[in-house]
Amino acid sequence: MHEMSIAMALVDQLQRIAAEQHATRITEVEVRCGVLRQVMPEALELAFGAASADTPAAGAVLTVVEEGLRARCRACGQEFEAAIDNYLCPQCRMADVELLAGRDIVLQSVTCETEDRNQAS
Amino acid sequence: MKIKVVESVLKANDAVARENRKRLDAAGVLAINLMSAPGSGKTLLLEKTIPALAPRRCAVLVGDLQTTRDAERLGLVATQVTQINTGTGCHLTATQVAEGLDSLELEGMDYLFVENVGNMVCPAAFDLGEHRRVALLSVPEGDDKVAKYPTLFQPADAIVLTKVDLLGVLDYERKRVYEDVSRINTRAPLMELSAKTGQGLEHWLTWLRQQREALDPSRPPG
Repeated sequence: MHEMSIAMALVDQLQRIAAEQHATRITEVEVRCGVLRQVMPEALELAFGAASADTPAAGAVLTVVEEGLRARCRACGQEFEAAIDNYLCPQCRMADVELLAGRDIVLQSVTCETEDRNQAS
Repeated sequence: MKIKVVESVLKANDAVARENRKRLDAAGVLAINLMSAPGSGKTLLLEKTIPALAPRRCAVLVGDLQTTRDAERLGLVATQVTQINTGTGCHLTATQVAEGLDSLELEGMDYLFVENVGNMVCPAAFDLGEHRRVALLSVPEGDDKVAKYPTLFQPADAIVLTKVDLLGVLDYERKRVYEDVSRINTRAPLMELSAKTGQGLEHWLTWLRQQREALDPSRPPG
């Protein structure tokens, strides 16, 4: 259940953004999760609901977009789509990769209501 | 109002991890993050490893949900040990390790072993500021662990198969482990050992000394 640590970090980030934007309420949050982080969207939503209580992000709709694995072979430089259980380079058959995508959890966008109540997307 | 952010959610953890690494680098301490399922033999391996590395000095940060039992065991062999109780947390975070580092005197230490909370999923997602990641699996856990938990083994700098003294007792196909590792991580050496009998321990100690030397060539391995 590492989703709770992630949700708490996300809420910290949202509180900072809300303060910077003078937002009264955050209504939508979009997060991109690399498959390697093994985030279960339902678990993250549940954890986010608990962690965001009594913050401007309480009640915000959380959208989790999954990001696939992209790798570069350290042996021959080939770039390829890896699978979570397979990092074999299609060219040289080594499994020694640098990950180009699929490992990060990134807050992509936030929709918020500001003090003057103008909400747009 | 929709705001485009594009900022890592674990930025705060990763920033603390970078600070931890800087502190360890400045003190010339090699930090090894040990990750595995509960009961795979992390503590026993450290009990055998630390005296064998002497005169090199070792500190340990040990993470568990509850109890100070591992710290009590390791306190008999390590120069310094700090137990981190995570309560309900299933992994260590960089901040917990930073607090752990505050409790240690890093000057004069050669190795810091971070024994993560026993768990094959969550610890792998959090950089603690370590220099090397070691993933362990033990024979009694079954020969399918690498395939089932690839995210633990893929970023590992070394993979250690423990309790190999039980190979003759249990139905265990060693070949499956090697096949799975060949698809997931060919960079990490796969070391077989038994901390109980001492079999294979020398290979592991040599690997540790080499990593220590790679970090700081000015200090030859002990």
